[in-house]
Amino acid sequence: MSAGRRPYVESSVIMTTVRIVAPFVFTFGLFVMFHGTSSAGGGFQGGAIVAAMIIMIAFAYGIEPTRKWFFNAAVVGLVAGGVLVFAVIGIGPMLLGGTFLEYPLYGFEEATKYGIEGVELGIGAIVAGVISGLFFAIAHGFEFRRDQE
Amino acid sequence: MITAIEAVLLLFVLFSALATVVLRDVLAAIVAFAAYSLGLALVWVVLRAPDVALTEAAIGAGVTTVLFLLTITRTVRPTEKVTKLRRIHWPGVVVVGLFAAMLLWTVPDIPAIGADAVAWNYSEVSQYYLDNAYKETKVKNVVTAVLAAYRGFDTFGEAVVVFAAGVSVLAILREERFT
Repeated sequence: MSAGRRPYVESSVIMTTVRIVAPFVFTFGLFVMFHGTSSAGGGFQGGAIVAAMIIMIAFAYGIEPTRKWFFNAAVVGLVAGGVLVFAVIGIGPMLLGGTFLEYPLYGFEEATKYGIEGVELGIGAIVAGVISGLFFAIAHGFEFRRDQE
Repeated sequence: MITAIEAVLLLFVLFSALATVVLRDVLAAIVAFAAYSLGLALVWVVLRAPDVALTEAAIGAGVTTVLFLLTITRTVRPTEKVTKLRRIHWPGVVVVGLFAAMLLWTVPDIPAIGADAVAWNYSEVSQYYLDNAYKETKVKNVVTAVLAAYRGFDTFGEAVVVFAAGVSVLAILREERFT
């Protein structure tokens, strides 16, 4: 790669493909997170799918425009919020006099199943946030160096 | 025995793994490594581990490749003419070969997939999970039931490790923001 070449090249084929595919992949990611209770999948897998799609969007539309849309507070909110969701669901039964993650104490029908789905959603948020955040954090230095050259 | 598809897949994985090691150009090696991951994802499907396959395809073939690509843009490509393939370091080949032979030696002792008479099929704990997971949690996927209910505290630790990894990367890069 020569120093003068622009790191991002617009391609209407890639942009259109990503634009059409993105909503389906995000939905599939959510599906995998929730559906981990009934078939293959779970929070780690679903989060990975969502993060891969965010990186694909950054590839198609350029890292800088995506960075503006996927701002830092959103990433931190995903990551910290995921940990918080998991912790709150876990500690809830302790406040009700049980042990960590003792779902049945929540009292409603199939509490364990819904509790697990909540936990998976939290895990998915953490994984999606950390992986895409990692990408943007590493890409940041890359573009900074470009400007200097 | 293995089917034709499995044989082709395994050959592809083996070939792309070798290509990753032997190719001198880092960019070519990264592409070969992505192909290797994609092949491995298909192997997971054949082995009926679709959840592992999903992760392998998204992380191994997708995200890792992108992170590698971003990293090598910080390096300089050698300008002088170099050979296409890396020179093979024979003492290293001998050591790795011996290690691989040792590992392969244990393979015949692994029970066949789906074999009945193996120790872990009669383990009290797994039998308990298989018998009671649906009754107790109303979750059809036993793996998820073990992961998020029976061993939920471990999984909480795992999730926090991912969180900590993200924070550590920011600390190492001396950044305060992800994006």
